[in-house]
Amino acid sequence: MKLRQDLVLRKVGDDYIMVDPSQGMVDLSKVHTLNKTAAWLWEQLVGKEISVEHIAELLFERYDVSQEKAVEDAESLMQEFEKAGLLEA
Amino acid sequence: METNIAPELTNHYYEIAGLQLELRFPSTLNLDHILSSFISFRKEHSNGTSATVVTFMEEVVPLEEDWGTLRSDISLVWGDNFRFYEQENTFVTLIKHNIKDKQWMMKSTKDFRESRIYGKADDPRMGEFVSWLLMVVFGQVGLQHRLILIHASVIVYQEKQGVAFLGKSGTGKSTHSRLWLQHIPDTALLNDDNPVVRLEEDGRIMIYGTPWSGKTPCYKNKRVEFKGFVRLEQAPHNRFTWKKGMESLVTVLPSCTALRWNKDLFNAMTDTLSQLVDQVNVGHLECLPNADAAQISYKAFFEEQS
Repeated sequence: MKLRQDLVLRKVGDDYIMVDPSQGMVDLSKVHTLNKTAAWLWEQLVGKEISVEHIAELLFERYDVSQEKAVEDAESLMQEFEKAGLLEA
Repeated sequence: METNIAPELTNHYYEIAGLQLELRFPSTLNLDHILSSFISFRKEHSNGTSATVVTFMEEVVPLEEDWGTLRSDISLVWGDNFRFYEQENTFVTLIKHNIKDKQWMMKSTKDFRESRIYGKADDPRMGEFVSWLLMVVFGQVGLQHRLILIHASVIVYQEKQGVAFLGKSGTGKSTHSRLWLQHIPDTALLNDDNPVVRLEEDGRIMIYGTPWSGKTPCYKNKRVEFKGFVRLEQAPHNRFTWKKGMESLVTVLPSCTALRWNKDLFNAMTDTLSQLVDQVNVGHLECLPNADAAQISYKAFFEEQS
């Protein structure tokens, strides 16, 4: 599974955003916002094969969290990404 | 796309927001008559490279089945009397008409640097249609030069600073501009519908008048420093709020033009817009159509300025 490569992460003011052009008939684009951690992870993961284990490992290395908490956060992040349609089909 | 330079065509040059637009039209046509809103943008000679070349072909519009995949026939910015189609190497823009013979059509390369317009030169609406098609072209080509064609009415204050009012058609952009003209001294209208905002090479942000100004004939070949955007929303009261970061981008995005099926153009627009909203002020005004509304947006930009 991979992150969508057509989305570009940008910093606007203090926010990390991605603009998702709607492919429907009406031009209503969606804007996704990521928090700092999710944005950092996005940069690490873009173009790569992703998994809960890999994300948890990254979180564990960078932040002062237990392994259990890292796995928990990685799982919810994957779910968020999926729900928001940020994973490649 | 190959371009035939038939001997009976004349090259015309225009400069809009610093970009050169080259038109190749039959020599028999009087372009100043057809495109009167473009007159002040005309240049006698080519000044280096044209950002885009548009050729007029007085030919029958090709058959509908050749146009490719229908991409859109609705747009907040473009109105609703057209269709966009996509083919492997071209975009097709069609201006619909219930009589087939009266349809106008344009084929463009995917970067819009070359286009051909097909239609009938004896059509009384030729000027209007060609002008609109050129706006489509310019909007897309401009994105490749850090320039965004926006849907807005623009007021210039003290001849040197511009503020753009955004809003869906019917929100009162033009009305709000008129309120400034009536109640704020030293103000002028720069453009009433389709100005261009440009991130210049030197890092400054400027706003330009264009040959497209909606129903108001205000075609000024002029640029001023750009102060920012205000999105207008009709309300039973007047209330102004500043927008920052993501919210500022979301505030401006719906008023920008980009064909979202072309990833490169869309990304170019978002890149430019992200930089723009970081450098200029973005506000939201819930407003009534009255003098107080104009005073509030004036004060936000020119008195309490952040």
